[in-house]
Amino acid sequence: MITRQFGSEVRWMLRRPRTLIGLFGLILVPIIISFGIWTASDEGEGGGGPPGLGAILQGNGMVVPIFTLFLSLNLLLPLVASIWAADGLAGEAQHGTLRGLLVAPVSRVRLLFVKLFGLTAMSLFAVTLMAVVGIIAGTAFLGTDGMMTLSGTTLSTAEGLLRIGLFILLVTFQMVAIGAVALAVSSTTEHPLVVQAATMTTIIVFQVLGQFSSLDWLHPFLITTGFPGLIDVMRDPIPLGQIGDSTLLAGCYLLIGTGLAAIRLVTKDS
Amino acid sequence: MTTSTSAPVTAPSKTAVAARTRGLRKEYGSTVAVDRVDLELPEGAVLGMLGPNGSGKTTTIRMLLGLVRPTQGEIELLGRPLPEGAEQSLPHVGALVEGPGFHPFLSGRENLVRCAAFEPLLPRKEIKQAVEDAIERVGLAQAAHRRYRGYSLGMKQRLGLAAALLVPRKLVVLDEPTNGLDPAGTREIRKIIADLHAAGSTVLVSSHLLSEVEATCTHVAVLHRGTVVAQGELTELLQAGGSALQVITPDVEAALSALRQAKISARPLGEGLRVELAGTSAPQVIETLVQGGARVFEATRWKTGLEELFARLTEAEEAERGMSAVDTLDGGRR
Repeated sequence: MITRQFGSEVRWMLRRPRTLIGLFGLILVPIIISFGIWTASDEGEGGGGPPGLGAILQGNGMVVPIFTLFLSLNLLLPLVASIWAADGLAGEAQHGTLRGLLVAPVSRVRLLFVKLFGLTAMSLFAVTLMAVVGIIAGTAFLGTDGMMTLSGTTLSTAEGLLRIGLFILLVTFQMVAIGAVALAVSSTTEHPLVVQAATMTTIIVFQVLGQFSSLDWLHPFLITTGFPGLIDVMRDPIPLGQIGDSTLLAGCYLLIGTGLAAIRLVTKDS
Repeated sequence: MTTSTSAPVTAPSKTAVAARTRGLRKEYGSTVAVDRVDLELPEGAVLGMLGPNGSGKTTTIRMLLGLVRPTQGEIELLGRPLPEGAEQSLPHVGALVEGPGFHPFLSGRENLVRCAAFEPLLPRKEIKQAVEDAIERVGLAQAAHRRYRGYSLGMKQRLGLAAALLVPRKLVVLDEPTNGLDPAGTREIRKIIADLHAAGSTVLVSSHLLSEVEATCTHVAVLHRGTVVAQGELTELLQAGGSALQVITPDVEAALSALRQAKISARPLGEGLRVELAGTSAPQVIETLVQGGARVFEATRWKTGLEELFARLTEAEEAERGMSAVDTLDGGRR
């Protein structure tokens, strides 16, 4: 029964015009990045990305998916996660379809897990899609001689793919954590836009707060603080400290978001 | 079925109830939407829930379906308490509440498939057939492939009904089912309700269309200002509510004083009187009139429709409230 509900949820999300448009937008990112670096290197400018990661992009197409996801995690992927979370509960409430599900009946806790599953599956799908397009576009535009790491070593293609796979999982997890918090917001309203606005405002405010060294004590609690550390997958060997911290922090957000959403949903009148 | 056994007659009425509420109360902030609602929905009945806008019909229905938590009171749905027994009872309940809710970017058929995926009683293999049957049943076959976005109000309503009827139900709850339907559509809804009734399902219909309820329902519950002011079998209620006698007499004064002495309420109306039969009977009234020296030319039983009953139940209280408001105003002046 639950697999059927999971299936229905993912099919429903995939059928949404805005999901398709969103996914199309997401795959443009690695293509544009590859193209941009290709033209930049043609003109001999030495890549447009930030120092470090950008510098190793040339002749190194396998880094494009990592670079793409790393860049998108700051704004684009949280936006997509917030849209799915917003449509999941607030959007269903707005269309009156939430009532239908609850009367079917789907227990409220199970409904939350169905929504969380949909969010996870779609996030994984979107991130993987971006990575795959990144690999293709990267190798097409920039070529590949294995994968050069930030530590200066070069990885074999197989090992490079493994790193990309690991990064996909890490980024997806961050996205799901943000989505879970957005779901908690989503359970309190029937206006999807409120959910998106609240989530994106939070992400941006967190990033601004992260800039002030006087707020050092706050930084370990901001999910955005963990984003830059994820790039450690591009070091050889991988230092696990920052990656572990980021993932742990995201896990806390996931638990708190899910918990709040469950509490709200169980007592909600609809 | 005979009641030859020693089992008391009250036993069936205790078990054969599809839904029951006790002392239901719902507050939204400081406003009380529903208060002291004791509703009884006999099994196999078609209960019409009547009430003016804002009388608490929809709130009561939403509480019955476990969508809204009552502030106070108990609900029993198909023999199980809510919300604890929701997972057992709700699969047998089909509902169209507060207008149909569907996704605009999916076709009617796809919307129903999504609803069907969440129906616990529907095996995966039967989903397709159940959806087609439901579409057929509500007469939506022509439009099933079109996007819900482009549906007319009547088509939306039909789709909502189809979702409620995806699985054979023990109880079907329809909140204003004929909203936006043309006369033909209204007739079809009546037929569907009649079919459900014939098949033994219990139906709860809320409506503000009295003719609607009168035509389809066996039982009626009248809500007013968030509470049940009358409920029971339609015929009984109409008899009870309609006990008035229209008397044609030229001696209105004499008749009124005679009736007043006998403590029978009456008021002048047209060429004679209208006499309330509460606590008395027609022969008794006529006897009183004749003994009081009033010539009775004609006496007719007042036939009340649901409309009059409804007006009496909801407006009488309105008048009372009006008076008490004046009283308090006077009190305040003093």
